[in-house]
Amino acid sequence: MNHFTIKDREEVKNLLTLALTAGIAMLKNGAETYRVEDTMNRICISRTNIKNVDSFVTQTGIFLTLEYEGEVFTYIRRVKDIGYNINKISLINEFSRKFVSTNISIDEGLRMLEEIDRFKDYSILVKLFGGSLLSGFFSLMFGGSFGDFLASLIASILSLAILEKLSKYKLTFFIDRFVGAFLASVFSYLALKVGIAHSLDNVIIGTIMPLVPGVSITNSIRDTMSGDSLSGLSKGVEAILSALAISFGVGIILNFYTKGLI
Amino acid sequence: MDIILQFIYSFFATSGFSIYFSAPLNSIIPSGISGAISWSIYYYIIHTYNSKIIAIFLGSFIVGVLGEVLAIKYKKPATVFIIPGIVPLVPGAGMYYTMLALVENDFIKAASFGTETLFAAAAIAIGIIISTSFSRSIRSFKKAA
Repeated sequence: MNHFTIKDREEVKNLLTLALTAGIAMLKNGAETYRVEDTMNRICISRTNIKNVDSFVTQTGIFLTLEYEGEVFTYIRRVKDIGYNINKISLINEFSRKFVSTNISIDEGLRMLEEIDRFKDYSILVKLFGGSLLSGFFSLMFGGSFGDFLASLIASILSLAILEKLSKYKLTFFIDRFVGAFLASVFSYLALKVGIAHSLDNVIIGTIMPLVPGVSITNSIRDTMSGDSLSGLSKGVEAILSALAISFGVGIILNFYTKGLI
Repeated sequence: MDIILQFIYSFFATSGFSIYFSAPLNSIIPSGISGAISWSIYYYIIHTYNSKIIAIFLGSFIVGVLGEVLAIKYKKPATVFIIPGIVPLVPGAGMYYTMLALVENDFIKAASFGTETLFAAAAIAIGIIISTSFSRSIRSFKKAA
C-alpha cells in the first residue's frame, strides 16, 4: 500500500499532528529553531499531494500550515519548559529521515514517536555523576589542586541532587538557576572551611559549570545571525537572565565572604 | 606535559557534560575527544600568543568541523557533538570573575571582565557558524559536481 499520497482530510490532520509532535519534541529538548522548521517541512512535503508547507518556530511556540486540495490547514502549539536531551534530538532526527524516505503510514509514525518519547533516559544517579565529573575536572582545568577537584565533585553532586528534588515544583528557570548557584557556592564555601579545598575561586567556577547557559547563548547568537531574529532574541534574553541569576546566587556568598561576615 | 594533563581533564569534563545532557551512549567518547582537542588548542594559543578571543574562536571552529565530520561518521545531527564540545570554552569563569569584581566594588575590572565574557560568547557562536556554513557549501558543491 502506498502511503505517500494523502487520501482524506482526516489523514491531513494526522500528518499535521505527527509533524507538530516531532517538532515540539525537538524544540523541548534543545534543538535549534532552524532544525525544527526544517524537520517539520520535510515531514509534510514528503507526501505528494501536500503543497505550500510553511512553518514558523520561535522558542515559545510553533506555527505550521499546509495546503491540501485547495484547503489550508494551520495548527498552532504553545511550547513551555525547554530542557536538554541530546539523545531525543538525535532519535527524532533519525525518525524524520526514515519517515520521509520510506513507506511508513502516518499511524505507524505516530506510534514510533510515542516510543521515542518513552525512551529510557540515563538514571538520575548517572546524570548527577556526569554533572559532577564536569565540575570536578573543570576546577582542575583552571589550575585547581586535587582537593579542589574533590570539593567541586562533592559540592556539585549535592547541589544538583537538591535541584533535581526541587524540579518537581516547576520553578521558573530564573529561580532554579539562582537556587542552584547559591547552593553551589554554599557547599564550595563549606568545603573551604572544612579544609578540603584550597581556592574558593576554582571550586565555585567548577561547581556552577553545569548551570551556565553556554549552549543557549551560542544558539541564540547563531539563530540571530542566520536570520531567525525572534527566536534568537527570546533565547538570548533567557540566557542573559539565567547568567544574571547565577551571578546573584554566587554574589550573595561572595559578598559575605569578602567582607568577612562568614 | 601540561597540555597533556589539560587534554585529559577536558576530556573527562566534556564526557561528563554529555552524560548530564543525556547524549547517546556511542557519542559520549567522540564528543569528549572533540572537546578535549578544542580545549588543548585554546590552551596552547592562549599560552603562546596570549590572545583569548582568537583562541576561543579557533577552538570553537575546530569543534564545529569535528562535529560535522563525526555527524557523517555516526549518522547523527552535528548538534549532538557540538553542544558538549563547546562546553570547555564557555565563559563560566569570566562570569564568575565579573561578579567577584562587582562584589568588590571594582567596576572597571568588572566592565573589562564582562565585555571579555560577551566577546567570548560571540566568538564561540561565530566559530560554529563559519564551520557549519562551510560544511553546507561543501556538501552542496559535492552534490552539484
